Amino acid sequence: MGLISGILMGIVVGIALMAGWRHMMRYRSTKRVAKAVDIKLLGSLSRDDLKKICGDNYPEWISFPVYEQVKWLNKQLSKLWPFVADAATMVIRESVEPLLEDYRPPGITSLKFSKLSLGNVAPKIEGIRVQSLKKGQITMDIDFRWGGDPSIVLAVEAALVASLPIQLKDLQVFTVVRVIFQLAEEIPCISAVVVALLAEPKPKIDYTLKAVGGSLTALPGLSDMIDDTVESIITDMLQWPHRIVVPIGGVPVDISDLELKPQGRLDVTVVKANDLKNMEMIGKSDPYVVVYVRPLYKVKTKVIDNNLNPVWNQTFEMIAEDKETQSLIFEVFDEDVGQDKRLGVTKLPLIDLEPDNPKEIDLRLFPSLDMLKIKDKKDRGTLTVKILYHEFNKEEQMAALEEEKRILEERKKLKEEGVIGSTMDAVGAGVGFVGSGIGAGVGLVGTGIGAGVGLVGAVGSGLSKAGKFMGRTITGTSSSSKKSGSSTPVTPQENGGAKPA
Amino acid sequence: MGFFSTIFGFVGFGMGIAIGLVIGYFLFIYFQPTDVKDPVIRPLVEQDSETLQRLLPEIPLWVKNPDYDRVDWLNKFIGIMWPYLDKAICKTVKNIAKPIIAEQIPKYKIESVEFEALTLGSLPPTFQGMKVYVTDEKELIMEPSLKLAANPNVTVAVKAFGLKATVQVVDLQIFASPRITLKPLVPSFPCFAKILVSLMEKPHVDFGLKLVGADLMSIPGLYRFVQELIKDQVANMYLWPKTLEVPILDPAKAMKRPVGILHVKVLRAMKLKKKDLLGASDPYVKMKLTEDKLPSKKTTVKHKNLNPEWNEEFNMVVKDPQSQSLELHIYDWEQVGKHDKMGMNVIPMKDLTPDEPKVLTLDLLKNMDLNDVQNEKSRGQIVVEVTYKPFKEEDIPKDFEDSNTVQKAPEGTPDGGGVLVIVVHEAQDVEGKHHTNPYARILFRGEERKTKHLKKNRDPRWEEEFTFTLEEPPTNDKLHVEVISTSSRMGLLHPKETLGYIDINLSDVVNNKRINEKYHLIDSRNGKIQIELQWRTS
Repeated sequence: MGLISGILMGIVVGIALMAGWRHMMRYRSTKRVAKAVDIKLLGSLSRDDLKKICGDNYPEWISFPVYEQVKWLNKQLSKLWPFVADAATMVIRESVEPLLEDYRPPGITSLKFSKLSLGNVAPKIEGIRVQSLKKGQITMDIDFRWGGDPSIVLAVEAALVASLPIQLKDLQVFTVVRVIFQLAEEIPCISAVVVALLAEPKPKIDYTLKAVGGSLTALPGLSDMIDDTVESIITDMLQWPHRIVVPIGGVPVDISDLELKPQGRLDVTVVKANDLKNMEMIGKSDPYVVVYVRPLYKVKTKVIDNNLNPVWNQTFEMIAEDKETQSLIFEVFDEDVGQDKRLGVTKLPLIDLEPDNPKEIDLRLFPSLDMLKIKDKKDRGTLTVKILYHEFNKEEQMAALEEEKRILEERKKLKEEGVIGSTMDAVGAGVGFVGSGIGAGVGLVGTGIGAGVGLVGAVGSGLSKAGKFMGRTITGTSSSSKKSGSSTPVTPQENGGAKPA
Repeated sequence: MGFFSTIFGFVGFGMGIAIGLVIGYFLFIYFQPTDVKDPVIRPLVEQDSETLQRLLPEIPLWVKNPDYDRVDWLNKFIGIMWPYLDKAICKTVKNIAKPIIAEQIPKYKIESVEFEALTLGSLPPTFQGMKVYVTDEKELIMEPSLKLAANPNVTVAVKAFGLKATVQVVDLQIFASPRITLKPLVPSFPCFAKILVSLMEKPHVDFGLKLVGADLMSIPGLYRFVQELIKDQVANMYLWPKTLEVPILDPAKAMKRPVGILHVKVLRAMKLKKKDLLGASDPYVKMKLTEDKLPSKKTTVKHKNLNPEWNEEFNMVVKDPQSQSLELHIYDWEQVGKHDKMGMNVIPMKDLTPDEPKVLTLDLLKNMDLNDVQNEKSRGQIVVEVTYKPFKEEDIPKDFEDSNTVQKAPEGTPDGGGVLVIVVHEAQDVEGKHHTNPYARILFRGEERKTKHLKKNRDPRWEEEFTFTLEEPPTNDKLHVEVISTSSRMGLLHPKETLGYIDINLSDVVNNKRINEKYHLIDSRNGKIQIELQWRTS
């Protein structure tokens, strides 16, 4: 009797103990999970969340800008800057100087940094935004501002002149840098990094060039030309959708998706313009149109004399790499003695176009594309164009890539033989591929730029070295051809620079 | 009878408990699912006030304290990366654990140890605020507040004697506020030589440990005991001021410390070329080490002499004998105008045997380009004697910490006396009315020392060190530091301008041995100067 009741009681107590344990397990488990959820929630608070939590005691110092502020990073950066500047100086010297030597145009015997210091002012990061636009990628936009006081003097030694030091002063870089991390399932989890400058807002890069013990302004228009060149280079190499792709880690990955490739072909017919502005004192304007997607590949219509309602009916072929962000730019100029005047400009975002559907569009001309700068709302006339967008299929894309590669090779060869004397030829060769016409815009730049452009070339080449892969390159080709591809547009200008120096 | 039934009762109770526990185990625990579910996360806005109340103690620091910065962008970044990171880490852990397990198994008669599940869960760690501290030392200090509340599932199955047992870790939570210090800062990438990590508070650790499905951590009392044990263990190792040190760079190399001295004796030159129109050249030699920022050293000018004898001695500090080399340039001195180059040559340091004087006769060249035809022309020869004397091992301060602790005064300093070291680091916001080309002038017991001039610079960095050997501690002395700007032009109007000054009492230095501080400059609008003072006694 005692045994049985003992067993029974024991069983009851045993089961009760287990039940109690399970209850504890459940209780503790739910508590932990609840806490985990809370932590997760609090890891990404928004303004509304905070309002709800804090009620009336909302802390006033907190704001939620699109670009999150990183004061702590700036504090650290300004403290670290003298050391970073020193380290970077050494790296730049070591990596860029041999490149300068490589790309040294004939006529110049030596091209070196005689002084290179990045100054005392540290760059500032105004904000950071992190998004996930595509699966497996992290997109980080960094609002980067540097109003620095670097002191960079480039010593140019030509055969005839002893030495011409050119100084770069008051550098200001305000831009949003887009960094895309391609994720991988191997440590360090990032297989490639893509760097580009966002086109919107437009990157602002200002600087003053000064010839030490002389004046660059002695050559009229020189500084404009340099600015133009720098802008072309930046927009064509770094500005989104152009990008630098840097593979990271030992894991071989296919990064061809990250690189910019020809996506489609545009058949653009510049039909006519109406009611153009008259810029000439006597007679009427002599208009022509410059069309481009990338400033490197500009094409030009013929000039029609003395006409404010010209009809051109000329067709060009252009290549588009990124339909989402690229635009077709039309600039109408008045041919004149001396510098040509711009009668108007307009742009057509490619995203508005439907594939394989020809369309005739009337575009209003504006004095400038920068809406902030437009003062007079006066009508500048309209431009009528016919556009057909054809999206490449795989084979066509490969063919286009091959063609491009061939042209880059050709340019490189020409350069080696020293045939290219001016950008005109180089661009002409390049444009031969995209259609007929002359690279007018870049051609402007081609003649007689001082060696200051060499500096730009150096920066460009430096970047190409750093990135190894430039936008518009083909995976699988040797890196030398890539380098030449990205830097050739610059070198001929250095070439031209030898003459006035 | 009553006695026996009580005995039986106890025995029965004992058996009953055993049976009851087994039944209870199978009833309540065995059939519990062991997989970890992703928790349901509802947006905060939808939550009721009760849940909000529960949230309050966990509110991130950046909400509560204005001196903490929000790092939600980092949280987002980690959040997107987390699935990839999870897989990568688990893969690495498995790969590391496999050989270790294979090695250990035979010792314990265990058949196999396997990971049945290994994942860190879907919840990434979050940073709930970041604080940085700015000091005058060469270091970066940051204090992130790290909260890892993950839902991992780590299940290890052990098979032995035909039985299988599983150990499962779930719901791992670690809250910690580490202090990360990067120091010292060095002028080569990644710009710091060491990472020091230490915990500012005992970390909070919580997890569930399931042995064959039953969570041991929910036995009352045990959890607290284990938690305290872990906290104490971790605290013993890493609680501030104890640190975890991760060296990144070799500090001695990164700092570019001097490793030896190069003695150069310029003996003579022969058969130099005539450069002046009238009479012979006036040669002198200029020399420097490559990658050295110090100004070149010069011999005297030997007028009208094409076979000059100098016999002058120079000492140079060598930082890297492998890469540095000695550059010698001969110039023709001119009263007016640019001095003409007469030739040059280079002696690579790595060609020299330490502590062995070597007399070298070098042909003078136009430049170091081997292909240049102009080098074939004879330009004469120069004879130098060079000796490289590396510092003895014990001379080199072994630990770079020395830069932060006060060194001993050198031998030969009088008793009771010592060496006063003044390091002028930098100034900020100094501004002159007419020009800002600042240099610092220090005045101590009538002795005057000056730093170099920096042109057009409102935030000059000098980083210069001055030493005074003293008979007795400078308890009652003052140090006068003045920032002065001189006109870069030969302007007669404003040749000199004081940008601010400061008087520092030295008694504090004697007591503290080392003071590194920023002082506000007097007679300056916002100017500040950072001065480090050391009192080294033997």
